[in-house]
Amino acid sequence: MKTETLTSDADLAKDPRIKLISAKIKKENFKPDALIEILHTAQNAYGYLPMNVLKYITKQLHLPPSRVYSTVTFYHFFSLKSKGDHTCLVCTGTACYVKGAQAILNEIEKQFSLKPGQVTADNKLGISVARCIGACGLAPAVVLDDEVLAKVNAEEIVNKINAKIVES
Amino acid sequence: MAKISVNIDEKNLEVEVGKTILEVCRENGIEILTMCHLKGISDVGACRLCLVEIEGVNKLLSACTTKIAANMIIRTKTEKIKRYQRITSELFFAERNHVCSVCVANGKCDLQKLGYKTEMDHIRYPYLFPECEVDTSHPWYVLDHNRCIMCTRCVRVCAEVEGAHNWNVMNRGNKVRIISDFNTPWGESETCTSCGKCVHACPTGAIWPKAIVQGQLEKKPEMITELIEKRKMNL
Repeated sequence: MKTETLTSDADLAKDPRIKLISAKIKKENFKPDALIEILHTAQNAYGYLPMNVLKYITKQLHLPPSRVYSTVTFYHFFSLKSKGDHTCLVCTGTACYVKGAQAILNEIEKQFSLKPGQVTADNKLGISVARCIGACGLAPAVVLDDEVLAKVNAEEIVNKINAKIVES
Repeated sequence: MAKISVNIDEKNLEVEVGKTILEVCRENGIEILTMCHLKGISDVGACRLCLVEIEGVNKLLSACTTKIAANMIIRTKTEKIKRYQRITSELFFAERNHVCSVCVANGKCDLQKLGYKTEMDHIRYPYLFPECEVDTSHPWYVLDHNRCIMCTRCVRVCAEVEGAHNWNVMNRGNKVRIISDFNTPWGESETCTSCGKCVHACPTGAIWPKAIVQGQLEKKPEMITELIEKRKMNL
């Protein structure tokens, strides 16, 4: 997944990912009601929602910009900031918390100087937390790039993250 | 028009079908407190001040969004409702920086009047005072988020009357803010027509014209209602 920031509209036109979005818009018949579905497609393509992609969608659907922005900021699924090339989501639900989710977060903060919600300067890694991912039997659980890791310890996670970063 | 009979505050009334409880009450001189309602534009039931008790319904319903039905027995001034109204007005004041003494709307503010009406003498909840910006980028108007109560009257007036859709609400919970366009400063908005309807729709001192000092603000929300009614007449 690539997440470099787009700067100009010229960049946007060249971007192959925009084709995915415009195909989705056409499939939805330019219906303003399909905004959420189209935002989903965009979020999946970019990993987040860059401003000029939002502007593109707004224009195509003939929606007021404020409506699009309010939809994006209402749902936690959508993000206006890059979440990083690799994402590490630590579950802090009751079961995971009891089993040491905080120790994992502390270790990550020590190793990568990242707090939940932050992304490294080189955009390689982003850390986030969730209230509960619904996998309490696997506590403490961590989701590393869409892969659920069960009954983890802090050291293990740091090693896996390092391996992911080196891989890319 | 078909008529139905209802009972509001022990008074038997014959009313037209299709109206909301709030409309019926206002027409019959029964006072109901509101903040987010503005006659003519749509109702969202955001402020929760117009709650009424309806016999047979075990929760309070907002008068502005509930349609009147035959044989409803409605109470608008029970102790429970008064208590709820007081709580609601306290929560309005507890959230942002509603300091009347330095506000342009001092003396003409709906929120201030609400405080008097609900006999609010102190606030039992901790003040939140979130960090809010004051947007002075528009050449004529100012948006002060500190005085906003999120009634969304400006949002609805802009969308329904002016048709510009400049305003909307972003985020949720106590991070909600009124935004123009993509959270761009008001002065740089591409959709705003600078018509000034939001200024008159705002019940507090959150949106106001520049070059006005403390207590000098004059708002005419009834102007918007009049405008809507005259448009309907033309049709």
